[in-house]
Order: sequence, then structure tokens, then C-alpha cells
Amino acid sequence: MSNSAMAVPPQRKGLINYRQVINLIFGIAAAVAFYLVFNAMIGGQCDARCVIGTLNQTIRYAAPVALAAYCGLMCERAAVINIGIEGMMLMGAMVAYGVNVYAFTWMKTTGVDVVVAGEISRWLALGLAVSASGLLALLHGVVSIRFKSDQIISGTVINILAIGITGYFYRQYLAQNIPPGPGTFPPFDIPLLAQIPVLGPIIFAGQKPIVYFMILVTLLIHYVLFYTPWGLRTRAVGENPRAADTLGIDVFRVRYINVLLGGLLAGFGGAWFTLEAVDVFNPLMTNGLGFIGLAAMIFGNWTPFGALAGALIFGLGNTITTTLSFNRPDIPSQFPQMLPYVLTILVLTGFVGRAVPPAADGQPYEKQ
Amino acid sequence: MSSITETGARRAPGLAILLRWLDVLSMPALAILLGFAGGAIIIWITSGSLETVGAAYLGMINGAFFKTRGFSETLVAMTPYVFLGLGLAVGFKAGLFNIGAEGQFYIGAIGAVWAGIAFTGLPTFIHLPLVILAGALGGAIWAGIPALLKVRTGAHEVITTMMMNYIAFRLTEYLVSYPLRDTKSSAVQTLRVSPNAELWSLHQIPERLQDPFNALFVALVFAFIAWTLTEWTFLQPRWIKRLTWLQRHGIAVGIGVGIGLVTLVGLPPLTHLWWPITDPYDRMHIGIFLALIAAVAVWRLMWKTTIGFEMRTVGANPDAAKYAGIHSARVIIITMLISGGLAGIAGTIEVLGVSICRCLPLFFSSGYGFDSIAIALIAKNHPFGILGAAFLFGAMRNGADLMELQSGVSKYVIALIQALVLLFVAAPAMVRYLLRMKAAREVEIEPLTRGWGG
Amino acid sequence: MTTVLPQASTTSPPDSMIPVLQAVGITKRFPGVLANDHVHFDLRPGEIHGLLGENGAGKSTLMNILYGLYQPDEGEIRINGRSTRITSPHDAIAQGIGMVHQHFMLVPPLTVTENIILGQESLQPATRFMGQLSALDRRTAAQRIRELSHQYRLDVDPDAYIKDLPVGLQQRVEIVKALYRRAEILILDEPTAVLTPQEADELFVIMKELVRQGKSIVFITHKLREMFAVTDRISVMRAGKMIGTVTPQTATSEMLAEMMVGRKVILQIDKSPAHPGNTVLRVENLQVQDDRHATTVQDVSFEVREGEILGIAGVQGNGQRELVEALTGLRRVVSGRVILLGKEVTHAMPRRITELGTGHVPEDRHKHGLVLSFPVRDNLVLCTYYQPPFARGLEIDEYAIAERSQKLVAEFDVRTPSIRTTAGSLSGGNQQKVIVARELDRPVKLLIVNQPTRGLDVGSIEFIHRRIVQARDRGTAVLLVSAELDEIMSLADRIAVMYKGRILETLEAGAATREQLGLLMAGVKGGVHV
Repeated sequence: MSNSAMAVPPQRKGLINYRQVINLIFGIAAAVAFYLVFNAMIGGQCDARCVIGTLNQTIRYAAPVALAAYCGLMCERAAVINIGIEGMMLMGAMVAYGVNVYAFTWMKTTGVDVVVAGEISRWLALGLAVSASGLLALLHGVVSIRFKSDQIISGTVINILAIGITGYFYRQYLAQNIPPGPGTFPPFDIPLLAQIPVLGPIIFAGQKPIVYFMILVTLLIHYVLFYTPWGLRTRAVGENPRAADTLGIDVFRVRYINVLLGGLLAGFGGAWFTLEAVDVFNPLMTNGLGFIGLAAMIFGNWTPFGALAGALIFGLGNTITTTLSFNRPDIPSQFPQMLPYVLTILVLTGFVGRAVPPAADGQPYEKQ
Repeated sequence: MSSITETGARRAPGLAILLRWLDVLSMPALAILLGFAGGAIIIWITSGSLETVGAAYLGMINGAFFKTRGFSETLVAMTPYVFLGLGLAVGFKAGLFNIGAEGQFYIGAIGAVWAGIAFTGLPTFIHLPLVILAGALGGAIWAGIPALLKVRTGAHEVITTMMMNYIAFRLTEYLVSYPLRDTKSSAVQTLRVSPNAELWSLHQIPERLQDPFNALFVALVFAFIAWTLTEWTFLQPRWIKRLTWLQRHGIAVGIGVGIGLVTLVGLPPLTHLWWPITDPYDRMHIGIFLALIAAVAVWRLMWKTTIGFEMRTVGANPDAAKYAGIHSARVIIITMLISGGLAGIAGTIEVLGVSICRCLPLFFSSGYGFDSIAIALIAKNHPFGILGAAFLFGAMRNGADLMELQSGVSKYVIALIQALVLLFVAAPAMVRYLLRMKAAREVEIEPLTRGWGG
Repeated sequence: MTTVLPQASTTSPPDSMIPVLQAVGITKRFPGVLANDHVHFDLRPGEIHGLLGENGAGKSTLMNILYGLYQPDEGEIRINGRSTRITSPHDAIAQGIGMVHQHFMLVPPLTVTENIILGQESLQPATRFMGQLSALDRRTAAQRIRELSHQYRLDVDPDAYIKDLPVGLQQRVEIVKALYRRAEILILDEPTAVLTPQEADELFVIMKELVRQGKSIVFITHKLREMFAVTDRISVMRAGKMIGTVTPQTATSEMLAEMMVGRKVILQIDKSPAHPGNTVLRVENLQVQDDRHATTVQDVSFEVREGEILGIAGVQGNGQRELVEALTGLRRVVSGRVILLGKEVTHAMPRRITELGTGHVPEDRHKHGLVLSFPVRDNLVLCTYYQPPFARGLEIDEYAIAERSQKLVAEFDVRTPSIRTTAGSLSGGNQQKVIVARELDRPVKLLIVNQPTRGLDVGSIEFIHRRIVQARDRGTAVLLVSAELDEIMSLADRIAVMYKGRILETLEAGAATREQLGLLMAGVKGGVHV
């Protein structure tokens, strides 16, 4: 995206921002150093194809984190802190899995063709997963916007509630005697775009729908946030809700809708686990990715592209974890598995001081 | 001019205090009722019959209180919760949303196991405190890292403590699977801790008290409790104001020493009179008494000491704390060390008193972390409220098995009920809305959220 | 005085002109307060109507009702003679009412254009079907803002970011915001509170230009002089009631003051001449930065001696806050030295400065001064809780705290149900008394007070002023920072004027005149603008 002609977030005013240039140089240097170390660790077998494959997988692993980060972004741009993303994703993952399996089984009994039934149940599962996550988000909205509870507590409630609900339904219906399901979404290439050299095979080939959706949604959020009336109102509500109120903007409505949209995005992130990554559901399978998403959001200074960058760092960490576990059985697998979390802490501690959250973040709005 | 009017309190202090406490307790009580009602609705919907609801709740009550050794097991289950809840409450009071209790719990357990295995032949009155200290240290270190990061870089503890949880899981998994593993056992678990480091089961008490040092140790503990309780309850009324600080403490310490002496002489013969002590299969252990002591100690710390005043000030208004000359960074670190230390002791107790193998098995606990957040919040971060909330959660955890057996409802429904209770506690306005109550007065929820800036 | 006829202005307007805006019998109750008591008010087309009153007189409540932020309990609003209901700012805007709030309603990280179009965005025609998700048309909007700015001589750059603009320009953005919404009626709520006298004069020029082009303006202030400078008629409110309406040609300052305060005497402190002793605080070439790393205190040097009050005058935002924070250890000093009682405290922690004998009444009592969720008792020992007799070692002695609190509450006349009541439930005046009581309870050698009476009722103001003078008479060195020139002039023994982070001049209070100080506050020294 080159859009120097259009107005962009206030942080980037001049044509060349030295901090960005320095960051870029450091980023490239770090990437090269990283590759060298990584390559040495797995015995120098990583050629160009392996690099492309690694980056392709990085994007795949980044998807749920990025979606979680966008959920946080939508909420916090309207000044609602959401630490319940983890719970919303867990809910999405559970619902997606349950619906996928049981809708498929039911359709088979009614004589629908297996391929068609699989296709329908997967998309139905995605839709319901997103709705379930959205419902939790609405609850978070009601508790923190209407009843003005502490938003961090409210988010924790959402997390605990989601663990309770998913755990209960898992034991009741999804732990044993599960009928065979249609499996996860099959990967596919995007026509034309997949032919672009280097970038094509990394971004537009062999991914599944939610990953492509994540990439699309990044552009969409950027557009909505910075180029539309809705985005302008959202940002105003996040920075100075009283000012928005005096101009006749319904602060509560803007917040509700943003929290709901965020919840829907978290639902996609949750569905990724059971409709794209693996064909099972485990309690607590989201493994803190919702929180990592928040870290990515902070890293990205509350902008979609920044959050995506943060998510990609995590995705890379996760890819390396998998590769290392596979190639170096002599290292206890627990240590590579710690990597993404250590990485998140490092990224967070390195960047949080420089990031500026929306001014009204976390404060309930009291009408006069 | 008399601008102070405490006439209400002067006329009937007892009644005023009672009304105040009723007021304080009414919201959590309603929240608990609503939570159980919500749970009933969910069971009803998913099972399709009202009888299942009845069977489930009856089973839970039976399991928690009335089956053989049920009540003892409830107390056993509640003990780690008390420490976890206290740890989190200390953090919350100082405005630190430490959601890493689970990780601190794990590392505390590791510390305890290590200290329990590494030393052998120490007498119990040295080894047991040592092991508890090691557990506390483990938890404190694990909470200290996010505290340092927060103070140094402003990284928000919500994310860092959560990440530390996952690092703790992997680290524990590694330590249990390799360095600390009991290779003779078929299960993946650590070696058993030295018998002298175990928390005494109640039936062991007569035997343990044979050792005069142990008896002295117990007497000291009782003396501490008596001292604190005396000062808190019996020296509160207004006429006591005439006593000087020295006199008040003299009386309190005197009573404490007296009780200690009575304990020293009287306890060994008395131990035979209490039922759990005569039952060799009863798992109740002295951890519950440690929990009571911890609750009193935390209460004293928060409300009766300068460091507690500082913690509460930093939590309630960090700007005013800075203005008042309070060193926030120091307070944050101390608070997190205490918070993590208490969570670490909870892990210790899990190893020394709850787990049957007196060791750390792989995947030995889950859900303690979030449960304890709920406990602290339901108790409004008050140490004595935490005793109550931990008892409720312990009873539910303990009663869940029998409930599942008798009604076929998954025991995971208790997590759902607990979440609903917390939801209603978190939003008192919602309870009032649901029950069509008028707001008697604004119940203030202490703010925890200050955005990500720190 | 008989010139004041409360009904005259509303029941029989002197000419047949229909008021553009009329409030009839407006009553508004808040818990425990009757904020507006059957208030009548009317605004004629093309006039500047001044609304005068003390803090809490009900001016802002009335205007918030006219702007739809509050709903009146009784009474009606008429626009161009037609009765109407205004239930939200949206309605008010639709009826042609625009308001410039005392605290600007601007979003600092957004541009001027974005702030102005917020809520009434212009869209790219091709994407209009997407509703709120269509693309913004910033160029057209900016063009219209430029036109408006030119038409009314407001000189506003549509592409600037609000956070980069000085206060005076931000205020003009607010005016453009109202004009952009085709406002015919402008309500300016205390617009001069944040301006230097010079900037205020510029604003008056703009106001007259607006009226010349047909707008009508309600101008709220509590400064008498401004009323005479710009208004066509003046209405005075006191304690929720409309006292009357006069014209500046017939009114005098004394008359307006009496209508406003309700009694003849204006605050005057009985004060004996100062007997300054040894130097307590010496500041040398101090330089301090604000949160955005802009230097806001530059090369400031002064001394405060025992038994004198040094007043620091200046329009708000000229570095006073940063200066006080640096002196009390709350803000890092970039360069220069602070010497307190002969000891260097330039980089000392707040506690050390306090322990050396400094009392500090902070500017923002809710942010720094009090822990609102704590009882009065604990707030009274906020700075001394760790010292005997309140604590022994680590242990706090609640009895000692309670005893001292009872004493202070009685001595400083803090109206509170009990010392266990939370500070947050007290009124502003009583909260400030808690702070003053706490800070004067210690044997302070230096008392730093920053805006001690902002937003307080007259009774509390008098009480706090008396206490400050008493402290001086006991030999305390007092540094008084205030944006209220009257407060400085009535309390201070010497007056230093701060402008853009520098102290322009220090004058003996007896020799300083209001005009002289006003010029200095506007940055004019010796006839030259600095």
C-alpha cells in the first residue's frame, strides 16, 4: 500500500520517517541473523524453498494471532479494553468443531452427498463459531458499556465463562464417541496472485480460507479506520468520547458495534484452530494466543499493519518451534515450545513504552 | 463546632456493624444464588429434565459435605484456593492484575518438590518450613519477573504474567519429565518428597507432637494466632482507646503467650478427642490452619501496616501515591513478590498435602489460575471473604465428582456456575437490574484498569 | 439599587424583535441542588449577550440545557418564537445552536478537518451508498473550512493536527466547528479562561465580526471587565436564579459585582505587612520539560523567604504546573538547581522534599491530592502515615490516626459525616480543606499552593485564603501559584509573572497594578512583546 497522498494516521507525517527506516534496517539485519542461526541449528538444510515454505507457514500461524489482535484493535480504538479475546476464540473453536461434526453427521443421515455436506457443514460451522464469539463479545459490551464494570474484570469473566462453557460441552458431547467429521478446510491457491514470483507462493498459495480472510481483513480495517466516517467516529470515541457526544454521535452505539465486530473477528481466529489447523477440539487449545494477539496489537501501536507485523513475529516463532521439534529431537521439545511466549514478552517489553494507546482506553463513558 | 456525627454508630455499634456487613455481603450472596440459578437453567436445557437439576445439586452437596470424609476433602480442596486467592487479592489491591497465579503455582510446586527431595534427614520443624519457603520463593521469582518488566519497561502484567504461565507449564513439564523424574515409577512424576517435609495429616498429629520441638513449633503458631485475634477483636471497642500502644500490645502478646503455653501442655492429650484425627484414611492436613494464619497475616499486612497502606494507595491512585512520596516501583515489586509467594505456597500445599503421591505428577492441576481470580474478585479482595469464597469453590470442586456420578451432568458445569457467579459479582448493577432492585447506594468497584500505559 | 428588574427583560422586550433563542421558566434539579430555578433568558438576533455569575451559579447548567446535554425539569425553550424540545446535542445542532465548551471538545490526535467534520462527514459521491463505510471526502471539507475561515477571519489551517495548535487556535477550531454546522446561535462558555488578555481581545474582534454577519452569541464569563468590552446586554445569575438583565451603558462594575455576589463586599483579606526572614527556597536557572518533552520552564530563578507569600501569576499553561512539579520532586529537572533550606534538592525524591518541611497543595486535587476511595482519615495522613505517632515501625496505629483526624476535621471545619467517609463523597470545598489541613498539620517551612481555590464556593475560598495568610504570619514561606489575578493580588507580597516558561518580572505587590500585570501576563514587557 503506498498512499502518501492520502491522509494517514498522525504518527507518520513526513515522507521519510527516520525511525521507520531504522526499524526496517534493524528488522532486515535481525531476519538475516535469525536465518543464519536457525539454519545452523537444523544442520544447514534450509534452502530457498525451505525459506519460502517457512514464511508460508509463518503466515498460517500468524492468522489467529492477527485476528485476535484485530479484535483487540477494534475494541480499543473505541476505548473498550478486551482481554476476553482468548475466551472468545476458545468459544469459536469449540462451536466450529461441534457444528462441523454434528451438522455433517445429520446431513449424511438425510442423504446429502458427502462432499456437499462437508462443504456446507464447514461453512455453517464457521458462521456459527463467529456468531458464538460475537455473543460473548456482546456480553462483554453489555457488562462493560452498559453496566460500566471494570473492563479487565469483565474480560476475565468472559475468559472464565468460555472455559466453563467449552469444558462443559466438551465433556458432554465432544470428548468421546464423536462421529467422523468432514475434516478441515482444504487449502487452495488464489488464481493469478499465486503466480507472483516469491510473494505468490508465500502469501497466496496453499493457504486455507481464514488465512486469506485475515489478509483481506487487514486491508479492510485499515480502510475503515482511517478513511471512513465510521472509523473517524470510532477513533474520536476512543480518544475523547465527550467530544463525540457533543456532536451528536452515540458513543454507546459506536462502542457496542465495534466490540461486536471485534468479537466476530475473534470468532474467525477461534475457528482457525478447529477448521484449519487440526480436526479435534481440546479444552484450552487456544494456548494464550488471544493474549499474544493483544501483545501484537500493542506492538503495532493500535494499527492493523503494525498488529499484523507483530502477529508475523509470533508466527515465525511458532514455525521455528515446529521445525526445531521436528529436526532436533535431541533438544527437549519443551524449550522450543517456550519460544513464542518468550518472544512475546521480549517484543512487548521492547515496544510498549513507545506505543500510545487511545486516550480514553478502558474508561467507561458516563453520559452527563 | 461538632462537624462529626457518628451518632448512629454510637447508639448501637453492634447493630451498625452488623448492618454494614450485611450490606457488604448481600451482593456476593445474591451473585452466588444467581450463578447457581443460571447453572440450573443450563443443566435443565442440556439435559431436558428438571429432575437432573435436582439430582446434580443434591449430589454436589452430598459430595461436598455429607459423604464419608466429604467435609474433610472440601477443606483439603479449599486450602490451595485460599493461598491463591490471597495472593491475587494482594496484587489486585495494589492495582496489579496478576493473572499468572497458575504459573507461580507450578513453579512454587517445583521449588517445594526440589527442596523436599534434595534434603534428607532434616527434622520436620526445619524441613517443613524450608520446603514451604522454597515454594514461596519459586512463586515469588515467577511473579518477580513480570514485576521487574513492568517497572523497567511498562510491559503490562496482564500479558506478561499470562506468557509466564505458558513458560512455566513447559518448564515444569521438562523438569518433571527429565531432571526430577522418578525413574522407578511407571507414571511420569517426580520423586516423593521426604516424609519429614510432608504436611502433617491430622491423624499424624499425636505422633508428631511427641517431638518436643514440634510441640513448641505448634505452640508458637497458636500464640501468634491468639495474639492477632486478641488485638483485632477484643481490643477494638472504644474504651480501649484509653490504653497506650504498649499496654494494648502487652495484653495481646500476654494472651498469645498464655494460649501458646496452654497449647504446649494441653494439646497432645486433647488430640484424641477430635474425629478426623482418629481416622487414618482422612486426608485432612494442617494446611488449612496455615491458610487461616495466612488470611489473618494478609489482613494485617494490608490494613495494619505502612507497606499495606502504600500498596492500597498505589492501587487506588498511583498519582496520589507518587505525590505522597511513595516509591511505586518498590511497592509494585514487593507486592508481586508477596502475591507470587502466596501462589507458590499454594503449589507447595498441592504437592505436600493434596496430591496422593506427595510428588509432582505431569499435568497435575489445571484451572487453579482462573478459579483463584474468581475467588479473589468474589471476595472483593478481602482476606476473610477469600476464606468463604475458597470454601465455596473447594466444596464445588469436591462435590463435583459425586454430582457427575449421580446425575450424569459433567463436572465441568461447576466452572460454568463459577463463571456466572463472577459475572454477577463483577457487575452489581446487572444483579440489581435482573432482580429489579433499586440501588441503595453506589457499590464501588475498585478500578484495576489503567489501560496499557502502566 | 432599583435598576434591577428581574422580569423586565423577559416579559416586555423593549422592541418588537422576536428573540432567536428564549428560555422560559427553566428549572433543573440535581440531587441536593437546585441548579436552575425558573430561569428566564432571551437572546436577540445579532447581539452578544453576556451571562455573568460565580462558579456554581447555574450558567453552565442553563447552557447545557439549551444545548440538549441536560433536560430541564420545568420550563420551555423557544427558537425564533416557536416552542421546541432539545433532547440531544443533535437536536441543538439541527436547530442552529453551536456551543464552544469551556473544556474544548476536540480530539487531539486528529486533524482540524477531521475534528470539524466529525458526525457530519462529507463523502466521496461514488461511494455514498456504503453509508458510514463510504470514503471520506477530506478535500471538499477542507475547502469549505478554508472558506468559512476566510469569511469570518478565523485563520484556521484545516490540515493541522489539533495537538500541535496553541489554545487560542483550538478555540477558533471550535468556532469553525459550530459554523460548519450552520449555527446561527453560538454559546461561548468561559472562552477567555484559558486566554491571555491579548488573545481575549482577538477573540472579541472575532465575536464582533460574527455578529456583524448576522450570528447571535451568548458569552459566559465571570470576569466583569470582559462584559463591558464586548457585550450588548448582560444577564446575571446567582445561586441558580436569574437576577436581572442590564446594558453595559447603564451598568457599573460595582453594580454587576453586587448582583453577582449578592452582597456589597468583595473578598478582601485582612493582611498585615510581611516580615520576610531567611531564604527558604532558592531556585536557580531552572529548566523543565513537559510530558511531550517540550521545554515549558526555562531559566527560572527566584527566592521565597520566611514569612512572605510569593505569588506566581500567569495564564494557565505557561509552565506553572511543570514548575511546581519540579519543585516538589514529581518531575525531572533538566538543568538548574533547587535549594531548600540550604540543601540541594534538585533531583530529590518527593518524600525527601516533604520531610525537609515542604507542604504542597496540588493543582488537581482528584488526581494528586486525594485518594478518593480512601476515608477522610487516611487522606489526612497520606504523607505522614509512616511517621510516629501514626506508625511504629511497620505497624500503623489507627487510634493515633483517628485522634488526629478528629482534631483536624474540627479545626479546619471539614463538613463530613464521619472520618470514615470516603473523600470522594465530599464536596470540592471540603476536599480542598482536607488537603490544606493535611499539609498545614506538619511543621512546614515552605508551603507550595497551586490553584488553591479553583472551582470552590465563596466560603471555602475565604477560609483557605485565611489559612494561607495565617501560615505566612507564622513564618512559613509560601509559594502561591494561581491563574486568578484577583487571588494573587489579594494574597501575595511579591508577584512574579510567568509567560511561556519564563518569569518576566517580579514586582512588589503594593506597587503592581492590574494593567501592569495583565500586560506582563500577555508577554508584553516594557512596551515590547517578548
